[in-house]
Parts: sequence; structure tokens; C-alpha cells
Amino acid sequence: MNEWLIAATVLGFALIPCLVLALVSPAPHGLLGLEIAGVLVSTILMLLSEGFHRQPFIDLAVVLAPMALVGSLAFARLMERQL
Amino acid sequence: MNWRILVATVLLVAGGMIELLAVVGLCAMRDLYDRMHFVGLIGYGALLIAVAIVFRESFSLIGDKALLVGVVLVLTGPVLVHTTMRSMLIRAHGDWRAAIERARKDDSP
Repeated sequence: MNEWLIAATVLGFALIPCLVLALVSPAPHGLLGLEIAGVLVSTILMLLSEGFHRQPFIDLAVVLAPMALVGSLAFARLMERQL
Repeated sequence: MNWRILVATVLLVAGGMIELLAVVGLCAMRDLYDRMHFVGLIGYGALLIAVAIVFRESFSLIGDKALLVGVVLVLTGPVLVHTTMRSMLIRAHGDWRAAIERARKDDSP
């Protein structure tokens, strides 16, 4: 296990508080948890790609980074109304 | 130890610490607007990790795309924070544009 995979594991555990925040807190706080989790998962995919030397993983990160942004923006606009 | 590996390791640890700090800050703060600061911070951790990958791999396929992801996350972070803040203000206080329109009508002779 190299340093990249160790970092990916540590950041994977950092996803748990974001998940708890999204499940337990009110919707606007959960949206922030979702936004942070999107960035974390993109970073984890970068680290896995480097750790395993597998190029397809980095493509997943390239796709996920803008998709997470679009999803978060859509949720933010929808939450202008009291959903 | 090769100096590139050393720099990559330092950048990796720094980026990881920034990301963990952002998650800890998200949990530690109680107010919604306090928590929003950490959404902008976490992109910089991703950029540092991407630069660490570039130091290790040079400008290979993985290095280029990692740098692209890091730059995208840093550039879109403030956009995301601004949009979220705007939406939450509208959610809490209503649309300010309607209030401006009402004030304009009241002032007109």
C-alpha cells in the first residue's frame, strides 16, 4: 500500500461526516455536505488512479468534478423555494 | 530520496490536511453561513494533490488530467459558494428583486 492509497483511505473516512450531515441535518446543511463530498470523491479518484497506476480512474474524476458542480448548482437553485 | 518524490509527498500531505480541515470545519461550525467557507477551501486541497501527482508523474496522461480536475475544482468553488449563498438568502428572506421593484413603484410620482 503506497502513500497515495493511504491518502485515499483517509479521505474516504472523511466522507462519513458529510454523509451524516446530509442525513441528519436540515436540507441546506445537507447540501453543503453534498458539495464537500463531491470534491472529496473527485480527489479520491485522482489518488486511486495514481496509486493503482490505472488511467481510467482519472477519467472518472474528470467527469465527476463538473457533474458534481452541476448537481450541486441544481440543488441550490431548487432550494430557493421551501422544499 | 529523489527530490520529486519528496516534493510530491509534502504536497500530498498538505493537500490532504487541507481537505481534512475543511471536513472538520464543516462539522465544527453550527451556522449555515459559517459552514459555507469550507466549501471554498476544499478545492485548494484538491489542487495541491493534483500538483503532487504532476510532480510524481510529470506531464503524463494522469498528470495532465489530475491538474485539469484540480484547476476545475478551484475555479468552480467560489461559483458554487456564491450560488448556494444566494439561494439560501432567497430561501430565508424572499427574493430581493421584488422588494426593489416595490420600492421603485413607491418612489415614482
